[in-house]
Parts: sequence; C-alpha cells; structure tokens
Amino acid sequence: MRAYQDLREFLSVLEQQRQLLRITETVNLEPDLAAAACALTQIGETSPAIHFGNIAGYTNAQVVMNVHGSWPNHALALGMDRDAPLRDQFFEFVRRYRQYPGELERVARAPWQEVVVDKDVNLFDLLPLFRINRGDGGYFLDKACVVSRDPDDWDNDNIENVGVYRLQVKGRNRIGIQTVPQHDIAIHLTHAEERGEDLPVAIALGNEPIITLAGATPMLYDQLEYKMAAVMQGKPYRVVKTAKGLDVPWGSEYVLEGRVLGGQREPEGPFGEFPGYYSGCHKYPVIEIDRVSHRKDPIYDATYVGRPWTELDWLQAMTTSVPIFVQLSTTFPEVVAVNALYTHGLVIIVATKTRFGGFAKAVGMGVLTTPHGLGYAKIVIVVDADVDPFDLKQVMWAMSVKVNPAGDIIILPNLSENLLDPACQPGGMVSKMIIDATTPIAPDIRGDYGQELDTPQGTDTWRHKLGALMKDLHK
Amino acid sequence: MSQAMESAPPVVCPRCRSTTTEVRSTSPVKGVWTVFGCATCFYAWRSTEPEENRNPDNYPAVFRLKPEDLANLPVAPSIPPRRPPTGSS
Repeated sequence: MRAYQDLREFLSVLEQQRQLLRITETVNLEPDLAAAACALTQIGETSPAIHFGNIAGYTNAQVVMNVHGSWPNHALALGMDRDAPLRDQFFEFVRRYRQYPGELERVARAPWQEVVVDKDVNLFDLLPLFRINRGDGGYFLDKACVVSRDPDDWDNDNIENVGVYRLQVKGRNRIGIQTVPQHDIAIHLTHAEERGEDLPVAIALGNEPIITLAGATPMLYDQLEYKMAAVMQGKPYRVVKTAKGLDVPWGSEYVLEGRVLGGQREPEGPFGEFPGYYSGCHKYPVIEIDRVSHRKDPIYDATYVGRPWTELDWLQAMTTSVPIFVQLSTTFPEVVAVNALYTHGLVIIVATKTRFGGFAKAVGMGVLTTPHGLGYAKIVIVVDADVDPFDLKQVMWAMSVKVNPAGDIIILPNLSENLLDPACQPGGMVSKMIIDATTPIAPDIRGDYGQELDTPQGTDTWRHKLGALMKDLHK
Repeated sequence: MSQAMESAPPVVCPRCRSTTTEVRSTSPVKGVWTVFGCATCFYAWRSTEPEENRNPDNYPAVFRLKPEDLANLPVAPSIPPRRPPTGSS
C-alpha cells in the first residue's frame, strides 16, 4: 500500500520500475500521440506509460498516456508488487474496499494554485488538446475527475461526487459533458435544473492514480470517492476546497472551475467510446469555465480509447469487478469472486457456491440489480466456486460441459442499459442474458453429472518444485 | 501557403459545411499550427491534421453532419420540469 502525493511521484516510481517510456523526438499532436498510445495497447499486458516532452508547436508541453494501462502499472498504482497476479490484485482491492470509509485531510493551499487564469479563459491555449480517433467531433478531456455536490444537500460530503466523464472542449471556455443518467452527477444536475440553477463543478486533470480509479468506480450514491481513495492508499486523502466549496485533489496538475448551465443541451460528439464504437452525436449538457489553475510546467494526462483492450479497460477492471462483488455478496455471501473485466462489465462472470437448484440463476439476477448492473451487465455467466472466473480457459470448460441451453439460458427482455452499448434497441434499452454454467444440484436433477476429475495426489507439491526448477532453467 | 502556416479560418467547416468557422488557437511556437472551430456543430481541427480532418471534400461521409439536423439530436439527460415555488399548493 502506498499514497502517491501526485501524478509526478507516480511517474517517477513507474520510471524506477521501468514502466515509463520517455519520447524525446519531436511528435505531432495528431496523429502521433494517439497512434503511439494505441500501439502500446497492442504490444501486450505489461506495456509502460508513455511521456511526450517534445511536442511540435510547444516549448514545454508535456503529455502522458497509458499511465494505468497494464497489469504492472495497475499493481504499482495500488502500491503492490509490479508482478502481482490479477487474482491477487482483485482480492487486495476487495480487502481495501471493505474498509470504507477513510478520512479526508483538508489543507488550504495546493501546487495547482501556482498559476491562475480567470480572465479571457481559452482552453485551446491552456491545454495541449489533441484528437484521439479520426472521427471524434473535436478534442476531449477523457481522464479528468469532475467534482460536484448535490444542490439539495450541499454540505453533505458523502454525496459529493468525483466521476470520470468525457468532456468535449467546444469553445474557448465551453465544454460539453456526458452525464449518463445512471451516473451520480446526473442526479446532481437534475436537482439543480429542478431548482432552476446552474451546477457548480470543478474538473481536476492530471492526478495521482488512485483517485482516477475511485472516480471510475460505480460506488453507491452516498459513498464519497475521496474516502474510498483514502482506504485504497492507506492514508487520509488530501484535498483543497475551491471558492464554491468543492473538494479538489491536492496533487492535480490542472483545475478547471465552472458551471453546468441549467436547462441547456448542445450537440456533442461523436467520440470513440469504450465499447469500441463511436458514440454518435447527442445534445448533452454544457459547462462554462470561469477559471483555470495549474502547476508550473503542468503535465497533461490522457487516455487512448479504441477497440478493447486499451488503457480504459485497466481503469475499469477492478473498479468494476470489486463493487459488484461487494454489493452482491451482501445478499449472496456464497459468491467467491466477480470478473467484470470485459468492456466495462457488459459481460460479467460470477463464481459462486450453490445451495440448491436454481440458486445460480438468482445470483445472476442479483448482478442485474446492482447499481452497475442497471446500465451494463448484459450477459452474466455464473460458474461454480471452484472455477476461477479470471481464467477464461476454466470458464469456457464450465460453459462447455455444464450448460444445457434448454434450461440454463434466461433472457430478460427490455432492461435498462447504457446508451453507448451499440446493441441497444432503442437506445438505453436492451435484453439481458444469464447463462447458468454451474453444476445442477437438487432439486435440479438435469444432466448426468457423475464424478468430476480431480488432480493426482501431490500435484501441488510438484507444481512448486517444478516452478522453482523452471525458474533456474531460465537463469 | 503551406497547411502548417494557415492562419485564416477556412470558408466552411469540414464536417457540417457551415460558414461559422473561427480561429481557436495558434501554436505557442509561431507558425507551427492553428486550431479552428465551428460555432454551429462545434467541430474542431488543427491545420496540421490529416487531410480527411481538414478538407470538407475529404471529410469521411459517415461523420458528416447537416446543420439542420442538429436540433433533432437525441437529448440526454432530459431536462426536468422546474419545481413549483416553495409555499405554492
């Protein structure tokens, strides 16, 4: 466990661990930055972060990408050993998640207050914006934390929200924001608009790695991301209040302050999104920015989004799997692990003990009623407790032999879904499927499941012994 | 004039062909690039981007927009009705 005070400290650790590439040759904002970050995702699951320090047209701009984009980087973000296996990262994330809530450390000053622009704000001048995908409707901030409070309960810290939402820079001080109805900021905005008010927001860009993970986590409405980040890093989370009363990370590189304009919607998009498709254009809410603050020589942090897997899939890996697991296990303590790694949990694999026939199907329906399940979780595969849901070879074995489609597939028509899922019909609605890939048990007597194969005695001992010998072979 | 040195906004937006084009920004190192934007469809592009992002004739048909269609885009989230003033029945 480790608390990084800011993005710079984390980048220096990545560099020490040989998980940061510095590109010193001159690069163009388009298409070089997105192309390099895309190439990193194609290289494999241990790719480094990438830092661009020599960008055409600038004397000192810095852009980093792929900061969370590999299992080693994800492990280091959590302060774990860089080689920590995926399963260990899941259970460590669960252990910390269950310690919620941690504390906030409020301080008066932050490095991001070093440079302040509050007149003639021009975001195109202040930020090294660039296009990610060729069909994007403009330049987007796609890894910033947006902070808001509920106008109906302004001083309640627990319902303050920190979320990572896509933001399109549309004018000098004008930003479009995607607030999916399932997300907490949409509730804040609804309350502001019912009151006939604007919604104050602060946009924090270039953060240490934990708050970005917390901001991408579908937590409960009354859980505050800073209090989750505190337990994730094992130390109170340091924040600074803006003049409007919004808490912003102490370590941010840039902070943009403004207001979502009540009752206004404007064309936004398209943007290449997490399902691997462009989002199309919609009329979305609009933010007017009044003030931009930043550190000296700020570092701009961005994510390449393409056909999975990309950095986004690491950002949404444990942050999706763990809350579903924790929320599901309050009703079903029999659940042993949840894998929601695929496309932000559009497909979810749950491993569970079963108490009686039909139990696994009830667990599958439970997944659909978690907060994340309401907008994702289109296909739920339920496997037995002795099947590792993170090992797709084991999951496919379970599907191969334990599923009889006649009784193990349930399709539930017309459920709510994130409108970015291209399978929706109409947008925001989709049918969902539960696949019961557990062994039928009484009174479900279908199939002819006799004795399952196990391993020869002593296999575990031999695995340890041979593993050590094989390590020697490669020395 | 080379594409990198373009400084006046093009006559029409590459995406929606409106004439509401504006200069949004120029490179801090002079003459390297200019960013343009469209005040109608909010498209933004840089003078140094590939041709398909700058030139209306090369802009991919699948991403083109018509200004008259913008008003009919789906709205999300919907705008809620205002609450009645406190004290009203």
